[in-house]
Amino acid sequence: MAFSQPSLLPDYIEAIFFIMFFKGSPVIIRLQKVTKRYPPDNTVFSDIDLEIERGEFIFLTGPSGIGKTTMLRLLFCAERPTSGEIWIDGVALSSVSNSQIPYLRRKIGMIFQDFRLLSDHTVFDNVALSLEVTGLKREQSRDRVVKVLEGVGLAGKMRQYPFQLSGGEQQRVAIARAVVNRPAIVLADEPTGNLDQERTNEVMMLMEELNARGATVVFATHDDRLYKNTHRRIVKL
Amino acid sequence: MSLVIICRRTLSDLKQHLYTQLVTTVVVSLSILIFSFFTLIYFNLHQFVERFGTELGLVVFLTEKTPQEKIPVLYQRLTGLPGVERVTYISPEQAFKRLKDYLKDEKDVLEGIDPKFLPPSFEVKINRAIFHLKKLRLLAREIGHWPEVSRVQYGQTWIERLESFLRFYRILVLVSGVLLVFTAAFVVANTIKLTVYARQEELKVMRLVGATNSFIQGPFLFEAFIQGLLGSGLAIGIVFVCYRYLQGLTSGSELLRGIHVYFLPWPYILAIITISILFCVSGTAISMWRFLRQ
Repeated sequence: MAFSQPSLLPDYIEAIFFIMFFKGSPVIIRLQKVTKRYPPDNTVFSDIDLEIERGEFIFLTGPSGIGKTTMLRLLFCAERPTSGEIWIDGVALSSVSNSQIPYLRRKIGMIFQDFRLLSDHTVFDNVALSLEVTGLKREQSRDRVVKVLEGVGLAGKMRQYPFQLSGGEQQRVAIARAVVNRPAIVLADEPTGNLDQERTNEVMMLMEELNARGATVVFATHDDRLYKNTHRRIVKL
Repeated sequence: MSLVIICRRTLSDLKQHLYTQLVTTVVVSLSILIFSFFTLIYFNLHQFVERFGTELGLVVFLTEKTPQEKIPVLYQRLTGLPGVERVTYISPEQAFKRLKDYLKDEKDVLEGIDPKFLPPSFEVKINRAIFHLKKLRLLAREIGHWPEVSRVQYGQTWIERLESFLRFYRILVLVSGVLLVFTAAFVVANTIKLTVYARQEELKVMRLVGATNSFIQGPFLFEAFIQGLLGSGLAIGIVFVCYRYLQGLTSGSELLRGIHVYFLPWPYILAIITISILFCVSGTAISMWRFLRQ
């Protein structure tokens, strides 16, 4: 996959965040005594300590319902922990206000099992959305979107709509959307859950390639076939 | 987010969700149409009462004992009053002649009656452009206190009847207006809520890829602005067509020729359009706020 890296700093707020993010510490994600509890008394996990280094590829595993998705949602600021602290590249998420969350999310690529593509937007528009929200104009983002789609093997399907694609292709669009911003971290929540073995292998290869290019990958899955013969670190919840 | 991006995204959204946008615009338009139509009727009735009252003018009856030399003095005094356009003196003889003319074939009933039995009077014509019904009443009351004046008539009964009808109609318009505003608010707010709900997945994806609230809200608010503007514009256009039709009816009919139909003045039109826009934009903002705070 060929990822270019043009400037994505349309405003000063993003610039501040960019500086905040790239401090160069080896630990990019750190969790300290993180507990998540839903009322009245449903504890998903408690006192989790975890450190993930920059450029690492880890599998977050455990049976369904153990809290893998919740963990990713905490990292993505979709939810806040009940107690404990999470640092993303040195920034404590408790200090990130709601209005700053979008700027944080632009540095994290998120991939879901159900793809979450806009059905009434073309493949190109779905991927371009990630750049559009940063304030980039269509002309500025075109080359970059095309390159990313070439990288995932969908250059010929840019004008098609998600429903015209297979499940594997849709997941590749979702991956392209997640990485078009060249995020430092990619969070994948069961991205192969809806795919057959062949498509699963394709997605795994893309994730490996992303990691080889420097992205830190957190891959949540309950499917032990994906990690049993790998040298990657496995974190069991 | 630049205005260019907002406009481009709004246009794209309008194309993609044309049916929903049209439904919302029609709902806004119908609500505003009913309200504007009520306002038009009320405005015209109000104008009619104002015109009718002042067209009647004043009839100032003098006491029988008023000496003849006082007449020019009273004439001057009446002419000098503000808003008075013309004053005509009607002597008892002239009044008697008018009565005879009025009675036509029945004038025999006046046989043997003193032609001076009717009191002398002044007919006071009011300048309509500067005079209002309230002022007319005050003027009548003021003249009525003059010692030479026995009675002042200005078609009180008619005006009071019309005014009481107008009061009733004003309450009706106000109550209907408030009910309509609430109904419109409810319908528009729910239509907008449904629009936001229908596009919830899109909004979620936008948040997922790091869209700020202003990026998400911008096109929605711009669309609401367009809906408010188009909806109210369409409603006022329909009311204008109705007005032209009524105007044609009144000018074509012998019976209704004297009745003038007025269209809503510019301040009313601007107020209706502004309220409609504010309504749509604030409704959208509230619906969006509810979604975005989740």
